Parts: sequence; structure tokens; C-alpha cells
Amino acid sequence: MNLKAVKTIYGKEMLDMFRDRRSLISMIVVPVIAMPGIFAVIHYFTQNLGRKAELESLRIGVSASISQAPILAALKAAGLELLPQQDARRAVENKSVAAGLDQTRADDGIDNIVIYRDRTREASSIAAERLTSVLEQLKLDQVKSSLRGLGVSERILNPFTVTSANVAADKKMAGFILGSVLGYAVLLLMFTGGMYPAIDMTAGEKERHTLETLLASPATRQEIILGKILAATTASFLTAMLTIASLLAAMQRMGMGRGGAELEKLISRAAPDALTVGLILLTLLPTALFAASLMITIALFARGFKEAQSLLTPLVMVVVVPAVISMLPGLELNVGLALIPIFNVSQLIKEIVLGEYSRLTFLTAFASNVVYALIAFAISVRIFKNESVLFRS
Amino acid sequence: MVDHISFEVGPGEILGLLGPNGAGKTTTLRMLATLLKPSSGRARIGGRDVTAEPAEVRRKIGFLSGDTGLYHRLTSREILRIFGRLNGIDERRLRSRIDEVAAMLRMEEFIDTKIDKLSTGMRQRTSLARTLLHDPPILILDEPTSGLDVPTARAIEEFIVEARRSGKCILYSTHVMEEAEFLCDRIAVINEGKIRIIGTMNELKAATGRQRLREIFLALLDSDMRKAAVV
Repeated sequence: MNLKAVKTIYGKEMLDMFRDRRSLISMIVVPVIAMPGIFAVIHYFTQNLGRKAELESLRIGVSASISQAPILAALKAAGLELLPQQDARRAVENKSVAAGLDQTRADDGIDNIVIYRDRTREASSIAAERLTSVLEQLKLDQVKSSLRGLGVSERILNPFTVTSANVAADKKMAGFILGSVLGYAVLLLMFTGGMYPAIDMTAGEKERHTLETLLASPATRQEIILGKILAATTASFLTAMLTIASLLAAMQRMGMGRGGAELEKLISRAAPDALTVGLILLTLLPTALFAASLMITIALFARGFKEAQSLLTPLVMVVVVPAVISMLPGLELNVGLALIPIFNVSQLIKEIVLGEYSRLTFLTAFASNVVYALIAFAISVRIFKNESVLFRS
Repeated sequence: MVDHISFEVGPGEILGLLGPNGAGKTTTLRMLATLLKPSSGRARIGGRDVTAEPAEVRRKIGFLSGDTGLYHRLTSREILRIFGRLNGIDERRLRSRIDEVAAMLRMEEFIDTKIDKLSTGMRQRTSLARTLLHDPPILILDEPTSGLDVPTARAIEEFIVEARRSGKCILYSTHVMEEAEFLCDRIAVINEGKIRIIGTMNELKAATGRQRLREIFLALLDSDMRKAAVV
């Protein structure tokens, strides 16, 4: 094999690729914009909407039937804005208040406080939970006071306490969220990033009648396809690197922001270090070659750009499925699962971010992905030698 | 489909392949350019077998077809550089050779312009430059003037005549009769994958009793159609 010819084809494809607007958009613009975009959406929802719901949740509609002064005093002391309503339920339904309070009396003479809430609204849920908490505390205080009057210890109400402790460190929690999103996003964008270049250098060449010229040059078909696959691999890998870099930059920006929700702070503290990023990139390398070979093989069958696009779009959808499965909690990579392409990568990325991967599963996944990449590459070469595919009209 | 075609072309000679659409001209030329593998038979170019030594054959040929595309996002110079490298021309020689070919084909004004900004004639001159860059002894030209305006087509024809004068062996496919009469030393009429007649213009006239190439061509096609009708 003449490596100079491979280098020339690779150089030609790279030059052509970096001048193609569609390839540049899918390869560079999407990862650079998509990641900050996702985080901007998270930021918006966690900060703005959360704050808005928090403020809105303070507005409580109180029916005239609430007559107990201690209840009203406790609610006011909790910072709630009490708005008298003729019909508290209706006020919640038409969203003029976050939650409503009403009072009825049962046959046994016990007062029943009713909290009206709308479960579809976050502000209403926050308000209802706050009301429940304030009223429960008031009830407890009243019971304690009565017990004290009777000379009975308060401890009778609380023979023991129950608490739960999360053994997962904050960083681990954030790593789980980050690892799940990262694996899915990187894989998806890797395939979409390599898709346009792969189409352009195969079906695009057929459509523009340039492939024949290349085939009539002294370069062998193996050299030509190798140059093309390496260029498409570069496109996929570059997209992956940009996705990760963009993600890290977005996280750093989030961490620097003032205030912010707990989730944001948590994620910003879970930024992977250089070794983690290096391991992720190493995991992605054979996958980039696999993706490029697979997409080039499929695109070779197409007569033109549009046909190739319709052949490759379902592939991207198929790729998403194992990547989504790996986002489910509770899944752990073992040697068997490490053999499943795509799934093994996204699961491994999650475990690398969590710092919980084992060497055996890492090596198994890496080796199997190298084998898949080589098989896909061999199929590409074979297809590229097939005259009926190349000159299909 | 091509069936038992046999011919030879020597240095300094232009052999014209003349035939209607679908006659087998492009298939023949693609087989000789090693783009397609023949199912049987042998073909040698410059002493090399097209099936056994395809890469060697491709080093000796310059292949150009009328619908040859160019990389629209690259300039003429970039395209010439790529194909020069693929043909093994060393970098220093390649730079001077590109300038030489550009001067020969009057490409200086647009050589650094992207292809999508060029006219059809300029693009075809770029394609021709790409074909001649490595100075191949054999040219395989498949309807190279197709779709060109008359002055550009004429310029290409003159260039081909010049290439013959410099000793190149040229196989030229066309369906333009005047072009074949003007350019070709010998003409092979091909129809339904078979060579119906081959020879100089005088030999064709003597064999068919007709004076103009168009009449010779139509008579042969007509004869084939009558034979097919009898069968």
C-alpha cells in the first residue's frame, strides 16, 4: 500500500470537508452550540422557573371559614401572603393563588383543614408542601402544649426518630447525571458529525461525477477508501472532542455563576479531570473509526446525496437506542455487556466519569470496538471494490 | 455490454470510437481505464495487462470523459496538485509542471479560483490539464467536448491534434461525426457491443461505397436493424 497516496486522498478530503458548509455545521457548529444550549436550558429551568415558582408559591388563598387565629398567625410567621377568598378551590383552579385553605367540621367536632393544590403546577406543589409542614408543626406544638399541661412528657410522641443518609457523595451523584448525558450526547453527535462528510465523499462524489476520475488515478481502491475513512473518522472524532470541550466549558461557566440551583452547583463540581477526558477520548477512538466505516459503507450504495441521507438517518436513530438504555440507572458493565457496540461506549463513559470502571471491562469494550471497527473497515473496502455498487445508476 | 471487441492503437495515432448511445463505447473505455473488469478477454495498454496490472496501466493513461466532474470547493491548482501527487510527481517538479500545463491551456487567470466560480469551458480545460499533468503516453478521451460551446470544443480539438503530434496514442470516443472526421486517423464504428467496421476514412468509404461518415454510420446502423428484424 502506498501511504503517500492515502495521505493525498486524506488531505484532499479534509480540504474539501473544511470548505463544505453542511459538514462544518454538523461537525463544529452543532457540538459547540448544542452543549452550551442544553446547559442554558437547564440553567433557565432550574434558576428562573424555580425562582418564579418559589415566589408564586407564597400566595395562599384563605377561605373565611379559617377562623383559628393560631393558624393564621403560624402561616403569616412562615412568610406566606394570605389572600382572603370566597372560594379557595376556585382561586387555585384559576391560578390566582398557588394553594388554598378551607376549613370544615366533621360530625365528631374535629376541625378539618383542606389544602387545595394543582399537582400540574410546581408553585402549587411547593405551596401545598409548605402549608402541610406549617400546619403539622402547629398541630404538634398544640399537642405538646396540651401534654405539658397534663404533666406528660413530650417524648411520648417521639419514641424514636427516622433519618435517611445518602452514601453517594455529591460528586458521584453529579458524575452519574453528567456521565449519562455525556455518553448519549457524544455518541449522537459523533454519528451526526461524521454523517455529512461520509456522504459527501461517497454518494456526493458519485453525484458530481468525480469518483470516476479518482478511480482512474494510480491510487488503488484500497488506498482511496482508506483515505476517505480516515477523513470521516477525523470528522467524527473532532465532533466528539468539540462536544466534550464545549460541555466542560459550559460546566465551568455554570460553576462561576452566582446563586443557582443545587443541581447546577453539583454538576459544575463534577467536571472531569484530564485523565478522565483522556480515557473517554481513548474509548471513542475505535468508535469513530467504526462510525466512519459504517456510514461510508452505507452511503456508497446511494446514487446521490439525498438517497444517502435517507439511508443514514435511520442508522443515527438506531445508534441512539443503546445510548439511551445506558442512561438508565442500575446498569453496570460486565464482560458480556462490554461486547455490545455503542452501548458499551456510552456505559463505559458513564462509569469512567463516575470513576467506577474496571480494567477488564474497559479493555474488553475497547478491544471489541477495535474489532468492530476493523470489520466495518474491511466491509467498506470490499464494497468499494464492487463495480455494481460504484457505477450504480 | 461489449462483445469480442478487438483493436490496436499506436503512438501518434487517434482512433475514434463512434457509436450511438448505449453502443458500448463508455464500457470499452472504462475497461481500458481499469474502472471496470472485463468478464473475459484481454487488453494491454503500453504493454501492461489491464486486469493483472491496473495501477501500472493507470500511470500510463490520461482518462477524461465529457461528464467528468471536478471538486467544486477546490481551485484548479489544488485539483492539479492532488492528481499530480497521486501520479507520483515529486513536489518541486509538480509546481513547475502545473505552471507549464496552465500556460499551455491558458489557465493562468483562473487557476487559483474555486471551480464553482468557473465557466464550463474553464472547467473542461482544468479537466484536460488534470489528464495531461503527468504527461501520459496514452489518452483515453470519452466525449471530451460534450456540452461545450463551439469555440471551447474547437480549442480542445486543436489541443488533441497537438497531443498526437507529440506522439501520444489517443483513443477518442464521440458521436459527433464532424469531430471524428476532423480528428481521427482511423475510426471504429461500434454498435450493440460489437465493432461493425474499423479503418481509415478512405477504407470506410471503399468498404461501404458511401462518401460521408454520417452516411457510412447510418448505413451500418440500418443494416444492423434489418438483421435484427429478420432474426
